[in-house]
Amino acid sequence: MAKDEQLAANQAEWASKLADKVLPRSPERDTDFTTESGLEVERLYTPLDLASLDYQKDLGFPGDYPFTRGVQPTMYRGRFWTMRQYAGYADAEETNARFRYLLDQGQTGLSVAFDLPTQIGLDSDHQLSRGEVGRVGVAIDSLADMELLFKSIPLDKVSTSMTINAPAVVLLAMYIAVAEKQNVDVKKISGTIQNDILKEYVARGTYIFPPAPSMRLITDTFAYCAENLPDWNPISISGYHIREAGSNAVQEMAFTLADGIAYVEAALKVGLDVDVFAPRLSFFFNAHKNFFEEVAKYRALRRMWAKIMRERFGAKNPKSLMLRFHTQTGGSTLTAQQPDVNVVRVAFQALSAVLGGTQSLHTNSKDEALALPTEESARLALRTQQVIAYETGVTDTVDPLAGSYFVENLTSQLETRAWEYIDKIDQLGGAVAAIETGYMQREIQESAYKYQQDIENIERIVVGVNKFQIVEERHDGLLRVDPNIAEKQVARLQQVKSGRDNRAAASALVKLRSVAGTTENVMPYIIAAVRVYATLGEICGVLRDVYGEYKPTATI
Amino acid sequence: MNDPIRVLVAKPGLDGHDRGAKVVAQALRNAGMEVIYTGLRQTPEQIVETAVQEDVKVIGLSSLSGAHMQLFPAVVDILRQQGAGDIMVVGGGVIPEDDIPYLKGCGIAEVFTPGTSTKSIAEYIKKQFQSDGFTLSRIDHIGIAVPDLATSLDFYTRILGLNCTAIEEVADQQVKVAFVPLGDSELELLEPTSPDSPVAKFLAAKGPGMHHVAYRVTDLGLALSSLKAQGVRFLDEQPRTGAGGALIAFVHPKASGGVLTELCQRTTAEG
Repeated sequence: MAKDEQLAANQAEWASKLADKVLPRSPERDTDFTTESGLEVERLYTPLDLASLDYQKDLGFPGDYPFTRGVQPTMYRGRFWTMRQYAGYADAEETNARFRYLLDQGQTGLSVAFDLPTQIGLDSDHQLSRGEVGRVGVAIDSLADMELLFKSIPLDKVSTSMTINAPAVVLLAMYIAVAEKQNVDVKKISGTIQNDILKEYVARGTYIFPPAPSMRLITDTFAYCAENLPDWNPISISGYHIREAGSNAVQEMAFTLADGIAYVEAALKVGLDVDVFAPRLSFFFNAHKNFFEEVAKYRALRRMWAKIMRERFGAKNPKSLMLRFHTQTGGSTLTAQQPDVNVVRVAFQALSAVLGGTQSLHTNSKDEALALPTEESARLALRTQQVIAYETGVTDTVDPLAGSYFVENLTSQLETRAWEYIDKIDQLGGAVAAIETGYMQREIQESAYKYQQDIENIERIVVGVNKFQIVEERHDGLLRVDPNIAEKQVARLQQVKSGRDNRAAASALVKLRSVAGTTENVMPYIIAAVRVYATLGEICGVLRDVYGEYKPTATI
Repeated sequence: MNDPIRVLVAKPGLDGHDRGAKVVAQALRNAGMEVIYTGLRQTPEQIVETAVQEDVKVIGLSSLSGAHMQLFPAVVDILRQQGAGDIMVVGGGVIPEDDIPYLKGCGIAEVFTPGTSTKSIAEYIKKQFQSDGFTLSRIDHIGIAVPDLATSLDFYTRILGLNCTAIEEVADQQVKVAFVPLGDSELELLEPTSPDSPVAKFLAAKGPGMHHVAYRVTDLGLALSSLKAQGVRFLDEQPRTGAGGALIAFVHPKASGGVLTELCQRTTAEG
């Protein structure tokens, strides 16, 4: 006590000396310093700022509740995070080549980018697929494409993350069917489907069905994976896209955790045991620009999820309490101007994710504000992670920023602010209600607009964009997707349809239709349908008939 | 004064990235425009239908998925088929520089790439609609003050090889005008017919040489009211008939940096 009082007195004396003597002569750069979320940043942090911190209760030990310091006891001293670069474009053949290249370069997990028709459950020959086939990811119409995608990649030797949401059940079914064809024990396959529909309504836009049946498909995957795929994460609850849509760090935290709460509640409602499905829930966050705020964000998130699972849902299995997450550096922070500078941005962002204890990481390529990444720039992005892992030494001790007066203070402040949002969402009736009324969308839109205004008013500096600009040469050497890819893909689809047992496919679809409206788990029926080469569009077509389609109300 | 510009911000194709579209929509609204946002997943047909129904002047297309090369031109084509080709189409998103000439060739008026400020987009659109009918389409003619038409015509026709198509006397300006067409515009050689003529006074003060520049406008009345609203002074408060039957008005030289400037509307359809 006396020690703190003495320190407080000393600090006050230091501050008044500063105000009298130093500041009049050399004023500070600004009157207010804030984080990206608008949290005030003080000139100096001291032990006084940690006075209310209880080490055991608030931080604990790595691998133990509340997991602030990490989910594993030894963290990166045991094993580095999974280096997982999101990749996919054109058709399955080309993407398979990129996958094998990345694995050869030392990447340790796969991450599949699907094109938009696939993400929206449309076949490549659908009228709405015009112009979109193979553009932002690989086109998958049927099991035949999926077999090509993983050709010569044994599925028991690699973990695969699939960015797929509304039709996640179908792509997971195809993955299982490929494993069967490769004679791999299905219990040995590991990976993740994103399967997070709520953030699609809010931020990413690849929804198909309305919320209620979508939530039901998700709980079906929870149940199926818990029983059959012990190493599979049936969901990756994603703040990444919420942040990309323009939210700040606090909103990213709160909206993601609120979505997580909604999924847990939905699973409990259909009778699943929390300690059976919760250990496989995984998360996905953004690594944005404000370095310390990002590090603090991951630490606060772990602490909050542990509390939510234990206190709100009564989970007992320690694995149910752990927030395990993938991170991607912030795509919207990349600039088209002076793109080489993006390499530096990505490195700092990736470092924040590592210091925040991520389980898996994607580093963006420098050319992604201009086009899909080339092989060369994707390699440099991977090398950036490898430098952090192998050269910087930041991986040699667990949670190295713990105890920093500033970082601990920021961690607690972010937590407080995020709880306020979660309380507000609870009052609105939970995440689904908050989304249906447009609450989250409006909050994000406001932050996005303010962010852009701050850049245009030069209140926020973006190097090379509103300061330090140069006259630039045109950017050459961008990746071009073959414009004939759609024709090629449609031809393959037709070939599959004419080569398959059409009666078997039709009968599998009829069976699926008969259970889709009941409470029976649809997974086995979808697996049966993909095995006989029913297409993604056909399967989702059946589900569209039964469930209807989501029609958003535009909110601006 | 003017009705606000109506803009349709649209997301063609399946792309779900609407942060940019929404931020631009809000910025244009704050810049005084009336903005309608389509929401996601619009076909080119749906976008054109909404644009026509909502009677917009501008469509702003946003795509970050790489489908712009097919979807942007499709919107322009359908607009033209529906007789709504006067609606201006602009686009933005992750669009490589190499694609821009093709898009412009297809009729996309402007392409805004990442890093463009919302202010510059708003300014661009406003500029296109600043004052209807008052687009300067070309240099109509250059007036040259000469003491003696015959001597000057010898230079322009015999030596430079141009043709004089007519010589006309404009009584109220006390001037004789020789018309020498050149490409899209022409030279007008001006010889005073009386010492009180404005051209005579010009010759006395400055000697022979460039007298004025005339810009072609499609609607002189609108051009006058628009420029006056912006504080530009005129020698002619109302349009009057000039040489060759054109409707003309002279801007006060103090408003145009000492260059005597004429605005000129031809009654023929061309221009």
